[in-house]
Parts: sequence; structure tokens; C-alpha cells
Amino acid sequence: MAKLFDGALVFTAIPDLLKYLPTTLFLTLIALFIGLVLGLIIAVIRINKIPVLSQLAVAFVSIMRGTPIIVQLYITYFGIPIALKYINYYYGTDYDINGIPGIVFAMVALGLNQSAFDSETIRSAILSVDKGQLEAAKSMGMSGWQVLKRVIIPQASTVALLPLGNSLIALIKGTSLAFTCSVVEITAAGKILAGKNYRYFEVYCSLAIIYWVITFIFERILKLIEKKISIPDEAPEVVEA
Amino acid sequence: MSLLEIRGVSKKYGSNVVLDNVDLKIEKGEVVAIIGPSGTGKSTLLRCLNLLEKPEKGEITINGNTYNLTSKSAKEKLELRHHTEMVFQQFNLFKNKNALENVMEGLTVVKKIPKEEAKKRALLELEKVGMSDRLYHFPKHLSGGQQQRVAIARALAMDPELLLMDEPTSALDPELVNEVLLTVRRAAKEGNTILLVTHEMNFVKSVASRIIFLESGKIVADGTPKEIFEDPSNERLKAFLRNINMLEDPDNYVI
Repeated sequence: MAKLFDGALVFTAIPDLLKYLPTTLFLTLIALFIGLVLGLIIAVIRINKIPVLSQLAVAFVSIMRGTPIIVQLYITYFGIPIALKYINYYYGTDYDINGIPGIVFAMVALGLNQSAFDSETIRSAILSVDKGQLEAAKSMGMSGWQVLKRVIIPQASTVALLPLGNSLIALIKGTSLAFTCSVVEITAAGKILAGKNYRYFEVYCSLAIIYWVITFIFERILKLIEKKISIPDEAPEVVEA
Repeated sequence: MSLLEIRGVSKKYGSNVVLDNVDLKIEKGEVVAIIGPSGTGKSTLLRCLNLLEKPEKGEITINGNTYNLTSKSAKEKLELRHHTEMVFQQFNLFKNKNALENVMEGLTVVKKIPKEEAKKRALLELEKVGMSDRLYHFPKHLSGGQQQRVAIARALAMDPELLLMDEPTSALDPELVNEVLLTVRRAAKEGNTILLVTHEMNFVKSVASRIIFLESGKIVADGTPKEIFEDPSNERLKAFLRNINMLEDPDNYVI
């Protein structure tokens, strides 16, 4: 009987796949950044109930959370070129539609999707900061920006860290859908490889191992950050004067 | 000229009038206590002075600078807040910062004082409130009384022209009240101008230079502790003092 399962290939395929790991990580980090920044902006808009923007933000979050990420990737992939064509037509510009690398679409789609989820986490974390401390900061004469930077963000990040970590881990795995925008990251590389040697099961096993290890590393990093920003339980020694 | 002058401060919550055209002048170095039944706008009056509450009407002159309390300008709001500091009932220390960092925060962020100098100043203020032995304790490691002493150090480090204290001992267990009152007394002795809302009548008697009795959003009586406690001419003030057993008990004076 032919060899049904090539156990060695599971491991020998890994180096080939790892060549595409930078794409996966790059995509993850950019989408993480877009998600956090835009998520913070949306959260601040919604908390301050800024007219028009606030309603738009609510609609945006609802749509992004209410549609599958793969549909969003397709919409971005086909939608941005159409939008550019219109812009070129009406404004006489000359944007090169085919010149946009696929990874840009994936970054936009994943980043926007991430921002919708992150905005809700950030919003609840901000609202959890004790109002009394905000009053103390304001009465000191801090500007709105200083209050945000010095009091709200440091304390809200402690609260938001764990759920944001969840969302980051989901994002790492979400990048495996970027193939829809013709981005070759590790999952896509695996599909291509398996298409050549027909060893689908083995290659997907390799991918599973890689994702799990990456996620494990990110989990450790998050744990370190958590430890760093949390207030120690034990009180320090009282210094005798 | 008075250090502080407020004119026509009015504040409503819905149809409930909390402050009704309040005028008040405070001289430099005065320690003014606001007393009165709960819900009469004592705290609201304090909070209108640094715009934590927005009055419907009113004007404030502090150290020669006049501000309209209803102004929408964020810059004016900040400027006004730089004249005063506030001590809160619930301490409101920054929970993610230790005692020293709490006191340094306003100095470095608002006053833009270099870190080294801010630290020196913070250490001095913390020493004055007797907290030098717990500089690196976070609020959650401190008792209520200790937290409030840090909060007082934080306010005084900013060298405010007027210190606003909103029931600084109301959230404390009885055995912790005294340590905070001693701190306030020291701040008063050092010549700070203080406007204080409190229910500690014995303390008011011994520390305040002037007492204001507020009822239904109006200043009903205004005088020295002697005038207020020993010879209250106003009927409502009398009723209030009788209610809190402060009228016929001369032994209650000393703290």
C-alpha cells in the first residue's frame, strides 16, 4: 500500500512555509496597528457622542461585525479598484489600478474589521476608568488630551489588554484568508505546495503547528506585558524615617 | 481686593434649583467652611468654581482674573482650573501610580516642572502630610486616611491660590478622620486659602476663620465660628445646629 501519511513531510514542509511567515506577521502587525488606532478613534467618538460621526461609527461597527471577514476581503478587493476607476474618470486622475499590491487590500480589510471589534473593547475599557480620577485630573488643570494620555489610556489598557489579546490571536489566524486578495502568506503557500505534491493533510498539519507556535509566542508576550502593567498585589516595605 | 469673588452663581438640576444666585467673597488666607443640610448645594458650589459642574449663570474673579463660568472656551476653563486645586471625598488618587507619582503628576504634566525638581517638591509635600514612609505604595496599599493625605499633598504641591476641599473626611472610618483633619489644620496654619465643605462641626469650630451656612441654594448665614455657633440669629441655622446637636453642648468644642 502506498504511503498514506508522510509523517516526515509534516516537518520538512515547515521551512518552505516559513519563508512566507514575514508576510503573515507583517499583515498581522499592520492590521493590529490600524485596528487599535482606528478602534481608539471610534471609541472616543462614540463616548463623546460627537454628532454625525457617532452615528456613522455605530453603523460601521454594526456592518463590520455583522458580515464575514471573507466577504469583507472580497468587497475590498473588488471595490477599491472600482472606486478608483470612478475617481480616475470623474477627477481625471491617473491612479494605477493594477499596480496596487494585494497585501494592501488585505491590510485595509483586516485592519477595518479589527477596528470594529477593538473599538467596542476599548470603549468598555475607557468607560471602566473611575470617574473620580478623571475629575481629579481635570481639576488639576489637565487638558482633555492630557487626561486621555495620562489617566485614561494607561488604566484602560490594563482592562483592555486581555480582550485585545484575544482579538490579536483571532487576527493572526484571520490573515490566512488573505489569499482571497491574492496575497501569498503561509496558508496560501501551504495550499500551493500541497497542490504540487498532493499531500494536503501533511501540509495542513505543518500549518497548524506553525500557527500554534506563533500564537503561543504572542500569548507569552501578552503575559509579560500584563505582568508589567499590573499593579503589584503586595505592598512595598514601609520605610522607617 | 478679595482673592476670590463669585457673583450670581446659579445652578439647576432639571427644575430643582441647587444654587440660587450665590455671591461670595473670600480673602487671602481665610479658611472658609460651608455647612448646611445635605442636598443644599454645598458640594455643587465648590464644583462650580472649577467647572466640574457647569452653572447656568455666574462669574468668578480669582486673583484679579475674571472668568464667566458659562463660557464655552476650553482654554478659559483650563486657565480657571490652574488657580485652584481640589481634594475629593473619595480621594480620587490615580490608581496606577504610587504616592510619589501621584503628587508629581500635576507638577510635571500641568506645570511642566522638570522631573527632578518635581520629585523634590513632591517629597517635601509628602513629608508634611507624614507619608514619607510610603512613597512607593499604590493607592490600593493605603488606608483611606493615608490616601486622603496623599491627595492633600498632591493638591498642595501645585501651590494653588485656593484649595477646595469637598467633604475630605466623609468617606473615612472614624478612627482615620483625625489624621486627615490634622493635615488640613496644618495646611490652614501655613496660610493656604481654603474653601471647605464638611460635616465635622468641632473641626470647623477650631480651624475655620469663617463659616457659611448654605440652605436651599442660598447663603443664609455668614460669620465667624463664634457668631455662628454661639449666637445664631437665624432661625434656620438654629434649627440645623439643633438637629446636629451642636447648639446646647459647649463641651463639644475641642477636637
